[in-house]
Amino acid sequence: MMSIKRMWKAGLAYIVLLIPTLFLLLGYAWLIIASFSSRTEGLKPVGWTLNNWRFLWESPFGSGYSNIWPATLNTLVMSLVMTAIVVVVASLAAYPLSRMKFAGRKGFLSLTLILHAFPSVTLLIPIYFVLLWIQKIPFIGNGIPLIGGFGYNTLGGVALVMVAFQLPFGIWVMKGFFDNISWDMERSAMIDGASRIKIWWQILMPNIKPGIAALSIFSFLTAWNAYIIPVTFTIGSTGHSSVLSVYLQNFISESVMTEWNAVAAVGLFQLVPVLLFFLFTQETLMNIYGGGKKGGV
Amino acid sequence: MKVTIEALCKLFGKVKAVDNLNLEIGDGEFVALLGPSGCGKTTTLLMLAGIYKPSSGQIRFGEQVVNHLIPKERNIGMVFQSYALYPHMNTFDNISYPLRLKKIPKKEISRRVHKVADMMGIGELLERKPAELSGGQQQRVAVARAVVKEPAILLFDEPLSNLDAKLRLRMRGEIKRLQESLGVTSVYVTHDQVEAMTMASRVAVMNFGVLQTYGTPNQLYDHPDTVFVAGFIGAPPMNFLEMRFEERDDGFYLGSQALEIRIPDERGAQARQNDVPQRVIMGIRPEDVSVVAEQDADFKAEVYLIEPLGREDLVTFRFNDEEIRALAPAPFMRRTGETIFLKLDKEKVHLFNPETKVSVLRSGNGGSS
Repeated sequence: MMSIKRMWKAGLAYIVLLIPTLFLLLGYAWLIIASFSSRTEGLKPVGWTLNNWRFLWESPFGSGYSNIWPATLNTLVMSLVMTAIVVVVASLAAYPLSRMKFAGRKGFLSLTLILHAFPSVTLLIPIYFVLLWIQKIPFIGNGIPLIGGFGYNTLGGVALVMVAFQLPFGIWVMKGFFDNISWDMERSAMIDGASRIKIWWQILMPNIKPGIAALSIFSFLTAWNAYIIPVTFTIGSTGHSSVLSVYLQNFISESVMTEWNAVAAVGLFQLVPVLLFFLFTQETLMNIYGGGKKGGV
Repeated sequence: MKVTIEALCKLFGKVKAVDNLNLEIGDGEFVALLGPSGCGKTTTLLMLAGIYKPSSGQIRFGEQVVNHLIPKERNIGMVFQSYALYPHMNTFDNISYPLRLKKIPKKEISRRVHKVADMMGIGELLERKPAELSGGQQQRVAVARAVVKEPAILLFDEPLSNLDAKLRLRMRGEIKRLQESLGVTSVYVTHDQVEAMTMASRVAVMNFGVLQTYGTPNQLYDHPDTVFVAGFIGAPPMNFLEMRFEERDDGFYLGSQALEIRIPDERGAQARQNDVPQRVIMGIRPEDVSVVAEQDADFKAEVYLIEPLGREDLVTFRFNDEEIRALAPAPFMRRTGETIFLKLDKEKVHLFNPETKVSVLRSGNGGSS
């Protein structure tokens, strides 16, 4: 008797979970169907075609524009630069916040929390001026190969702004992982004769690999999917610094009918790496909230 | 290396973790810091290690004041309760870490690591990661790492607390032998009085950050300075009874409603010299209480609880709403509720001032007995 009741309860839970999931799945189903058809009526495709995917080998907007690959490379570079800076800075900042006592530590911690909650849109205009100013600095502003520099209308500049918004979260996550490492291990290293920086690099960092991995993935995905910041701080949707989300915007204009099926295809294209990522890194991602001590590394 | 601690204090905010500690540890001596948790013993150890800075007072290694030296400059080895091994390094890398930091040549590192590992019986485990070692093996690695750099002082912070009882007994012996063979000055923190008594040449008992007494295990056991020490050292613990101290023409007497005993003259005289108050706390160890025939008895009591310990039985007796515990040869053939007769060994009676909790049997004023 009990088991039937229990089965009912479990079944009910699944039904409750299924309903919202269904809406999401329908969305993805439409995305896939639409990207391979010239028109859709609801979920029903009208005329299968690969035409929507032509951005892979040619410019869908006529000559003078490029296909999707430069934008993909830009997105990748921007995401990697942003991830690298976030991980290095966050772990260097989190270590003293976790381990040392100094004036203003608590204030700093609550400040980062507030920053994390800050809506980024409100800062767009002041940041614009900051980036313009950075651009005037020789080399650093706009002379670095690959990322362009750290000024306005460069990949580095976009990455820098992304870093600023991602850092509070990153610092808190890394601090959590440092907190989990026993004091004894650090004391032991001090007695063995290691300096603070050596302890950080040789003892602590290897032991928070799950944290580093998790933060990297989170940062990378945030950058990969970013729209507002890239679109604000780069010029032109097919400019030399445009990223995928900005490239996608080309399909939506006021003068020409929006090709929703092409939008679906580009959306799917941008989604694939993310899906693969999640598939292979799920376990590491769980670590970010699970503390990630046992069985990790 | 001789270690001198003078008027050492450590404050955490307003809490005095260590209060005016004075201690001298001879070269090559093995000293235990003993006390309940939160008594300041680990804080003291971490100050010796250089992890905590003293709030006031002085620590000297030999003649050198080390208050402001960082751990690296102190040439110490330390073993932690949690072992504190580096999980991402194998045994060899763990043990060699302090040597690698000193930039000692690789060949020399390898030689020293192998020597120490063989000494600790972990020569076969050098390739393994800490997670692949048992608790006892991890502890050995931790000890090896502490001694490999040939430190002037070895510090132990409850190193055996995480081991099971049997292993603890074995490691106890091994650490003691190791310390004796190396001849390194060692400080060993523990809350386990048996560990302290069996391993250390001298034991410093602490409570609430204050040093209670400092002496050899036998001194602490036979002549405890305070009620705290008397109750803390020895298992099962000492019995305490409130008594009346009386001097009569023919000698010194302790009395209560249930019993009256005459104590040896020299004990009574010593107590009188130390201004013994009328009401005193009498302490007597369970092994100094024995069951006798009625005509030899000091008083009678009722059997309340029998706890077999194997070689002996620990028996709790009740009389006049008071309890006294005795160690009786096993098996104890009486039943609970039976009335029996007890005798106290008067040569082993301890007397304490109930106000100051200090022994009135000390010779001279203050200092250890």
